[in-house]
Amino acid sequence: MKNSNIQKIRVALAGNANVGKSVIFNLLTGLHQHIGNWPGKTIERAVGSVYHKGYEIEIIDLPGIYSLSTYSLEEIISREFILTEKPDVIINVVDGSILERNLFFTLQLMELNTPLILLVNQMDIARSKGILLDFKKLETAVGFPVIPTVATRGIGFTKVLDDIVAIYTGKKKSIPKTTFYGPELEAQISKIQKVLEIKKILPTYPQRWLALKILEEDEEILKQIRRKQKVPFQHFRNDHKQPEEYTDILVFSRALILSLEEFHGHSCGSLITSERYDVVSSILSEVQQIEAKIVPPLRERIDSIILHPILGYFILFVSVTLLLFGVFYIGDTVSSSLLILFENLKPFHVDVFGEGLLSELIWASLEGLMGGISIALPYILPFYLILGILEDSGYMTRIAFLMDRLMHTIGLHGKAFIPCMLGIGCNVPACLGCRILERQRDRTLAIFIVTLIPCTAQTLIIFALVGKFLGFHWVLLLYLLNLLVIIILGKLALKTLPGEPMGLIMEMVSFRKPNTKVVLTQTWFRLKEFIYIALPLIIVGNIILKALEIYEFLDIMNAVLSPVTVTLLELPEEIGIALIFGIFRKELAVILLGTLFGTMDFATVMSPVQMIVFSVVTMFYIPCIATIAALRRELRWKKTLVIVGFEILFAIAIGVVVSRVIQFSSDVGLIF
Amino acid sequence: MITALIDLNVGNKGKILEIRGGRMVNQRLNDLGLTIGSIVTVKRRAPFAGPIHLLVRGSNLALGRGIAAKIIVQRLT
Repeated sequence: MKNSNIQKIRVALAGNANVGKSVIFNLLTGLHQHIGNWPGKTIERAVGSVYHKGYEIEIIDLPGIYSLSTYSLEEIISREFILTEKPDVIINVVDGSILERNLFFTLQLMELNTPLILLVNQMDIARSKGILLDFKKLETAVGFPVIPTVATRGIGFTKVLDDIVAIYTGKKKSIPKTTFYGPELEAQISKIQKVLEIKKILPTYPQRWLALKILEEDEEILKQIRRKQKVPFQHFRNDHKQPEEYTDILVFSRALILSLEEFHGHSCGSLITSERYDVVSSILSEVQQIEAKIVPPLRERIDSIILHPILGYFILFVSVTLLLFGVFYIGDTVSSSLLILFENLKPFHVDVFGEGLLSELIWASLEGLMGGISIALPYILPFYLILGILEDSGYMTRIAFLMDRLMHTIGLHGKAFIPCMLGIGCNVPACLGCRILERQRDRTLAIFIVTLIPCTAQTLIIFALVGKFLGFHWVLLLYLLNLLVIIILGKLALKTLPGEPMGLIMEMVSFRKPNTKVVLTQTWFRLKEFIYIALPLIIVGNIILKALEIYEFLDIMNAVLSPVTVTLLELPEEIGIALIFGIFRKELAVILLGTLFGTMDFATVMSPVQMIVFSVVTMFYIPCIATIAALRRELRWKKTLVIVGFEILFAIAIGVVVSRVIQFSSDVGLIF
Repeated sequence: MITALIDLNVGNKGKILEIRGGRMVNQRLNDLGLTIGSIVTVKRRAPFAGPIHLLVRGSNLALGRGIAAKIIVQRLT
């Protein structure tokens, strides 16, 4: 049904984080979405399209940001997109319940001289807070269409599409009003604008905006200007001499900035931000009314329970425990039935492929695939689903708030607790999840911590060995050891990384009913990271190991590893190959151990001490191959190799200590 | 009375006079509405010297102690 005559309207969706932008994107575009990364960046880029009144409307979902400065990569990307790609219309989604902060961002979009539509979302929350808005007045104040919506209920969307087309065809006006600031600031803006007019340094940018950015000393813009000024001045003519003409524009503007800073006593950037907020306040005083509420809204009451100094931690502890137990209990049942079902297929496989090398290798790859699925489907999927619900409801930011102090002991702030939670599911999405931290230093540290957190597969080993044969209290003890190691190694890593830890600056999102579609999309993204990165490596690993087994390399490898496994760790020799297997798929280590020993009753072949030592070593010894791939993506090879090498040595060391300590306690009759 | 934001009690309001600290932190705080002259209300503090929960310009923010110690305010109530 391709129609080449159809006209395409390019629309960008912009707004703060947590204003319901993704819900709106999903509602507008439906299933016609393409999700990838911004070129060369590890930031997600979602594009979708919708047909309306004979036009194809292509919608690009920009990252959720609070400003168009250069605080983060997301802000730079959004800004560059608007300035260089010049979308036909920008839809600015704002949270009607926090209009002041949201309009601050709107003001910056208005300076970019692109047609705008303002979507005032979360009007239900706004009303519950007693906020009343006059949309007609707001429309006059800003100069472009304003549409109230409740995205979660799909209210107000046909009008959005109608307005996009109307603005594109010129039937409706969207000319953002120029906002004027204080007289001192305006005087300097016009001086710089005059120089810009003559010099034409970055002529494609809106000039008033450029002048403001120069005054803010925006690093990106200064860099671009420096690059441009190196080019010899082409249009220089002597006849209309202005004092500014002879000077470098940055030298010129520097003098203006200094005079402004002297006048106000604050940095020019702060001054401009304050002035912007003043403009917003004066708009709001016209359009917004707040009725005082006698009874505090339900959200406030929930907050006072969930963030309570004692009750809050209790609720947090119970919900995390329930989440883990629920997932592992249900997962175990589903996973084992899946594997039994799969084993029953073996005779059919032999029927089709016969026996022999090729058949064995095909079976090995199927086994790898199935093994991956038996982890992904019963454990990782439900875990991320529930985590997604917690995130979208706003509870995750509360957890970050409660955990901030604790995370500071390892030099991170509260937000880092979120990837740590993800790590309990699978370390791969958790490593990628560390991107929510602002600085590379913090990301590196958090990723290192994440690799120490036992993932689903490692948890399965611990339960299958220690939990089953020694009892649950030993499992708890191992987890305590793990926590202790994380704190100690975290502190040490903190010392080796230069730089001060960054403090927590986080918006506490309003509590809300989670949106099914947003939760499902988020879960799918995380699961996809497991499927794309981990699954292929698991399958290839399985084939290689099968080949090694067929060519009888396993005994040789066991022998090679025996100085470590037998002499140092006092484990059976067969363990060597199980540890090698573990690099590919940790949970396979136990199953393989069963095959190697010829029994799943490990109590007959391993002593309790050996079970504990083996579990401890697998907990720490190396991130699995998929995690190594994720590490390389986030940290590059050098840091990845340092982490991998360190963890191998550390696991052996702690294994040696644990084996001696437990053996001794057992010898003197303290345990077992 | 002039004090650091971290020293305000729960329920106190303060007017921001100065933000000490690096350019990046300064800018982020500004962007989130913590500008010179803005009024903040302390809603709660996490125990064990944890972060504080603020209300500023109608939005709820969590600030770590280190950052809250660098924001100088005039106590209003």
